[in-house]
Amino acid sequence: MFVRRILIAAGLLALAPLASALPDGRELYVKHCNACHQTEGAGGIGLPLTGTKLHDVSDAYLIDSIRNGRPGRVMPAFQEMSDAQVNAIVRFLRERSGTQSAEFDPAPLDGDAGRGEQLFANNCIACHGEDGTGEGKGTGVTLSRERSFLVMPPAISNPGFQAAASDRQIRQIIRVGREQSGMPAFGKQGLSEQDLNDLVAYVRVLGERAAESRPEPVSDGELSHVYESPYDFETTVNNVKQAIVGANFRNFPDRYLEQGMIDEFSVNKRQVGIRFCNFKELYGMIAIEPRLGVVLPCRVTIMEREDGQVILVTPNLNVVSRWFNNDELVDLWAGMEEIFTEIIEEATL
Amino acid sequence: MLRKLIAAALLLLAGSASADTMLMTRVMMKAEIAFEYLVTSIEEHGYSVAHVQTCDTGMGDFGYKSDFYRVVFFGKGEEVRSISKTHPEFAAYMPMKIAVVAERGETVMSVVNPLTFNQYYPDDEKMKVQFGRWYNDIQSMFRDVQKAAGDKVAVASLD
Repeated sequence: MFVRRILIAAGLLALAPLASALPDGRELYVKHCNACHQTEGAGGIGLPLTGTKLHDVSDAYLIDSIRNGRPGRVMPAFQEMSDAQVNAIVRFLRERSGTQSAEFDPAPLDGDAGRGEQLFANNCIACHGEDGTGEGKGTGVTLSRERSFLVMPPAISNPGFQAAASDRQIRQIIRVGREQSGMPAFGKQGLSEQDLNDLVAYVRVLGERAAESRPEPVSDGELSHVYESPYDFETTVNNVKQAIVGANFRNFPDRYLEQGMIDEFSVNKRQVGIRFCNFKELYGMIAIEPRLGVVLPCRVTIMEREDGQVILVTPNLNVVSRWFNNDELVDLWAGMEEIFTEIIEEATL
Repeated sequence: MLRKLIAAALLLLAGSASADTMLMTRVMMKAEIAFEYLVTSIEEHGYSVAHVQTCDTGMGDFGYKSDFYRVVFFGKGEEVRSISKTHPEFAAYMPMKIAVVAERGETVMSVVNPLTFNQYYPDDEKMKVQFGRWYNDIQSMFRDVQKAAGDKVAVASLD
């Protein structure tokens, strides 16, 4: 008996370092997930991760979702994390929500996508949208903004969701609904098992369409654009301001590049940021991407070099927009990039 | 199974942004207070707050509930002067900006991760060191605000 106790104690001692070496799921959650999904998982910029949300999904789904994110929908891909770290986050989510992994047979379902399309139009389209990207603009419950839903219906056509969710998990969610988010339990609303299978088949078709329609990646773009002005500093500044007004934007007060960081007598007054905005568009953009303030307002920086040459510098919005993993922003800023180019062309004609 | 494999293949083609283009932190503290702690920490790290942009005025008219959205512009004068001379193209990204947004009595702070710029300066060790310094300083600022909010886990996660 005594020998057995000693052996058990020794075994526990040997395992102790292993246990302490396990990644701390809560700490990882706070570091990587908390900012969007909120401390208690209530959601915010990201979707809620509460018990009712996690009850009907598998651990494999959560792991895939963390690993691959939701391309173009704010949620990034955490591909640098180790398996142990991802598992620790999932373990933490399970412990916090008091749920267990829902296990699903990975075998595909046999459904008729044609019938599914009609069922989708009748039952799902109002929330998930015609293309399955979810209702309205943006994602999550961004910025505590008023929404017609508690949360944004997930983008079920998103390649990340499509890869993570098995057919049977999708069917189960359609069957039992999402009480917290207002999604009805269609299994109780008269849809048969075959109807559910047909719906899943159509959700897969939406996924294929969505993957084909994503914006092309821009990986080799320049960080910013630098233009030489044929005019002197003052003329260039005035031309840019006029071009901004001509493009239906409002000029903000100018700010020298060094202003507020160097005493006012030493500030280089031949480096100025011409800042502009259109409030309606600004708030529309923030609705789409609540973190956008980190690159706003729009600005053309005009600088006179030591040799007297005046240059204009603008950010490359096609590059910047991709930092947010938000396709709606990518589309919107492709248009803004054209406006920037027009302003510069107008000012430097 | 085949459908899921196709979906996985499409996902590879789709490509998702990596997790580190933005630095974000959530503080369990009201935005007005978190903002003050952030400004103090920015200054304690040797930076000057160049400007604060108030974006929340009129947001209610556009259907927002959030009542606090500020952007803090900050930098070190000598760094801005030096970089704008050697790398004028980078003037578009100076000074740095942290967005401070209220969300249900908590605060979300976001900033472009300075290390994101590394890829545009693959052979410029000086700029990479600069970006690394900014990254460390911003993490330290976030840590200060988390400490003020008394969140030991959040502080540990930023270490």
